[in-house]
Amino acid sequence: MERIASGGKSARGGKKTPVALLGYSLETMEAAKHHNIPFVAVVPEGFDVALKEDGVDVVTWDFYVHNQNSDRLYEKLVERGVSHAVPLYEETVEWAGSLNTRLLKDPRAFQRALLFRDKAMMKRNAQMNGIRVGVFEEIRSREEALAFFDDINEARLRLQEEAPEPVHLKPLSAAGSVGHVFVRSRQDITSLPDDAFPCLAESHLAGQEFSVEAFIHKGKIEFMNITEYVHLGYSQIVPETPKLSKQRPKIRKAIEKLMKAFGIVNGMIHPEYFLDQEGELHFGEVAARVPGGHIFELIQRAHGFNPYAALLLCSDPNTSKTVLDRFFPKEKDHKIFAANLMVYPRKASVHQLQFPKELEAHPYMDRHTMFEPVTAKVAERVGFGNHYGTVFLAGEDPETLRELVQRYEEYDFYE
Amino acid sequence: MSDTPKCTPRAESQGPTARQEEAFLQALEALEQATPIVKPKYQPEVVRRATDLFESEEGLKIVREQAHRFDSVGLFHAGPWEHPDRLLPALVGGGLRAEGQYPSIEMLSELRVLSIAAGESSHSKFSSEQALTFLRTVMGLNLELLYGGETEESRLRPKVYARARRLLALIEQEVSSEGLLEQVLDDIDARVAQRPIDVSLTLKMIEQAKNIQDDSDPKLAARLDRYLKATGPPTPLAKKAGSPTNYRNFLANATNHEIENEAKVVGKLLTLTGLSSEYHVAFLQHVLRKDETGILAIALDLTEVGQAHMEQYREKVFELMRLTIHPATSWIIYGFQQMLERMLLARPEVSDGLTKLVNLDLCPTAQQVTKKHLPRGSGISANAAIVGGAIAILGQPLGVGQGNNPTCQGARALSLWSLHDPGYLLQLLASAARDDTVEFLFEGSPILSGEIGGGVADGKFDLKLDPVSRILVPHLDRIYDEKMKRAALRGEDPHKWVNPALYGRWVPNSLTSINLTNQTVSGYEDFLRLFYATHHPLYDGGYDLVYPNPVGLLITNVHGVFLGYHAVSIQRIAEDEEGKVRVYFFNPNNEGRQNWGKGVEPSVVGHWEIPGESSLPFEHFAAHIYAFHYNQMEVGDPKAVPAEIIDEVTAHAKEGWGQAFTWL
Repeated sequence: MERIASGGKSARGGKKTPVALLGYSLETMEAAKHHNIPFVAVVPEGFDVALKEDGVDVVTWDFYVHNQNSDRLYEKLVERGVSHAVPLYEETVEWAGSLNTRLLKDPRAFQRALLFRDKAMMKRNAQMNGIRVGVFEEIRSREEALAFFDDINEARLRLQEEAPEPVHLKPLSAAGSVGHVFVRSRQDITSLPDDAFPCLAESHLAGQEFSVEAFIHKGKIEFMNITEYVHLGYSQIVPETPKLSKQRPKIRKAIEKLMKAFGIVNGMIHPEYFLDQEGELHFGEVAARVPGGHIFELIQRAHGFNPYAALLLCSDPNTSKTVLDRFFPKEKDHKIFAANLMVYPRKASVHQLQFPKELEAHPYMDRHTMFEPVTAKVAERVGFGNHYGTVFLAGEDPETLRELVQRYEEYDFYE
Repeated sequence: MSDTPKCTPRAESQGPTARQEEAFLQALEALEQATPIVKPKYQPEVVRRATDLFESEEGLKIVREQAHRFDSVGLFHAGPWEHPDRLLPALVGGGLRAEGQYPSIEMLSELRVLSIAAGESSHSKFSSEQALTFLRTVMGLNLELLYGGETEESRLRPKVYARARRLLALIEQEVSSEGLLEQVLDDIDARVAQRPIDVSLTLKMIEQAKNIQDDSDPKLAARLDRYLKATGPPTPLAKKAGSPTNYRNFLANATNHEIENEAKVVGKLLTLTGLSSEYHVAFLQHVLRKDETGILAIALDLTEVGQAHMEQYREKVFELMRLTIHPATSWIIYGFQQMLERMLLARPEVSDGLTKLVNLDLCPTAQQVTKKHLPRGSGISANAAIVGGAIAILGQPLGVGQGNNPTCQGARALSLWSLHDPGYLLQLLASAARDDTVEFLFEGSPILSGEIGGGVADGKFDLKLDPVSRILVPHLDRIYDEKMKRAALRGEDPHKWVNPALYGRWVPNSLTSINLTNQTVSGYEDFLRLFYATHHPLYDGGYDLVYPNPVGLLITNVHGVFLGYHAVSIQRIAEDEEGKVRVYFFNPNNEGRQNWGKGVEPSVVGHWEIPGESSLPFEHFAAHIYAFHYNQMEVGDPKAVPAEIIDEVTAHAKEGWGQAFTWL
């Protein structure tokens, strides 16, 4: 691969200033090395030893402690001449915001980061900017959750004997689907643990769900990927299949609106939307970090560029247009579709892996990450985490891919 | 095998596909290209692809052919398998049976060692000779993967086991099992020399040693033969009988001369190995039926003292033997012999204590843990099994072990009481087995084990233990933990109060330890001088040790690197065959053979150890001790210890565990 020089030049001349990478991500460090982007790795204690041995400039930091010493991180990074910070995990987003407020002299960077971290504030901001969202409320207690559930069902004119309209409860600040509860009845709410509150309650949005990974530089979308969710939390296809693809212009407009609403100039955002039967877009939520679910791997496979490098290049205000033009392929140029399937055991107790021979031999089969199960007893699912492994597939025909992931979602990979 | 067409496919899966091979090579290539920091990103894919290939012998060979590259491409970079010179053969078996990606990594690591052994790759700190030794040891420790049959676990996870077996077979093919039998026999010898109560592992090794082909040395065959006779048919007559039941029938028709001959053989085998078999049980049952005291003494190979003791308490001996000598518990015969040699039945508290156990109303817990470990349908009562266990521990005070539990305290206590207060031990056992509780005093206030939780093991026990430990240790663990809590925060090591309160009056009240606060060491010289002045016969002013002393050791690995703290009991200090002063100690961790690096290797046999004891030259022991009890009134002259000795021991300590501490 071609190596691209980037990164801000320091005032004194040729030497490039390093970027701070918040969180331990080998992929990002690899991309930085590959593109000669100097960096300082800011990682929790314990992750530093091996990195130091390999000659990486490391600062250890506990992202969960906020106190009067938090300023020390800024000072440590300034000592190293860091130009800006890039968050790699949900928990580091507000740290990056706070650091960039001062490093980039962007007074709103921190507040913006807080918007990304608080799902209720995020939705309120989107709504005030004319973006269509579901009905939502910040809920402090179980009683308020029950009231929300009743209100929604009353508004929908649901009769007693009908299945109630479902709602969602989510923690106010957690990554993606962690802690997400799909509520189908009042009973679901009464059986929740006390520490589930406070949280965000939302009405249910039906339709095709997808996410967008938009790489943005100087307020312009440099590359827009769409990840089509075949089954939320289980399987997805990159990029979107033809039916959703027809909506690209509409989606691009929606992203531009979102960028404006959130004041995003450089970097990458990962919003989620629902497309309803009438072709209307509903905004779910947006994150400003590396998306979960191996989406970056799928982007690399389908589009042929390294999204970690893209994130670094777009996060740096000083990256030149030439560099970006040379880096990103055309959105429409991709030849293949990439998909993945997250595998969860389907029994209460599993002993060994039983990977289907016919899938292994399928020409669309790329690889999988499953080993013998680590414990015989299968834990209950939390969010969409705890999957036992992932199957990666890729091929030219999106419908074959969809058919494959749907078929093997039902398959028992463990016996 | 039948010659009819096979209707079920063989367990061996089909050979690897070209695609699988290609994918493995590509993954290895990608790993090679990666810079060191990102190696961990590319390692899992290599491991994953190798796992596919491990499914068949041909696939395993494909991976084997690349093994010389594993270290250079960074397959183990920044992980626990990185340095081959730090690998421990004892961990391989567990690794191969582990879960997730670990069995595969373990296999890749062994293949790497194979390539070093074969001279295909080299390593600055791990010679091909060392690699060979490592692999031989791995084979010796994993005989059941080489020759063993199926187990419950292997039936449940056939793939993992098939892969591991394939690997062991490959190692055997490349390294050859030449020398393996000798190594295994040496290992059995060393185990047997320690006379553990729980001999299940020894029996397993003997069973598997049978399968090792080695005709090179008739002496080896003879050594193995002795063990096979001790644990199987002991005589030509028994062999001819073919089963213990038939053997009994044969004995019924045998002449007196023949009977005496059989008795001599089983008796000698018992004394030589500490092991016994169901044939031995059959023989004893025959003798018991005939009431033949003289033959019984020969069959137990009793000394004159033991025989006199048996004859004096003939009724009791016969009663206990009829109750406890049973095919399901044949291993207790050695304990029986030893108990008679200790003349313990002469002590009314022991004799009555055992009788009490015979008729004890067992609590459900004791019933359950005892029965669970008896073969189903064996027809022996839980009471009889517990009495048998008690006899074993009375006969073999140094044969008790902590098993896979963090309960060295309990094992040390049982050993000490068996030696010095067997009546008390039986009383505690009766209480635990009947009431499911034992009562201890701590500084005047009672603690009932049945009413408290906690414990170092937190109630989780691996019950692969002797029958007495199985019942008592969970109680002792909670009592110990509770006492430690009550003595905490006194500014001194709580063991000062807890040890005498737990073990009893045999432990002196004063305790001294090295000051190890905040990873620093201070006052080491005074500590050492006091140890010499209380324990070394030249400097202790004639106050020699009488009772076991529970002490704390700082343990190091084979490279002398500090590992952690461990508790042992000093049993005695004495001169060895060369006139060197040695510390003889009881290590409750079931395996006295250790290597603590820098030439410190506790021995279990050959330096006049009593079976079950470990020993070290005094100065080596001194260089590892950090806490011991002593009697203030019985201290020699600390200043009399020559400075050279102190300097030498200090230097040794500093180079070993001392590296992990700052010396003030």
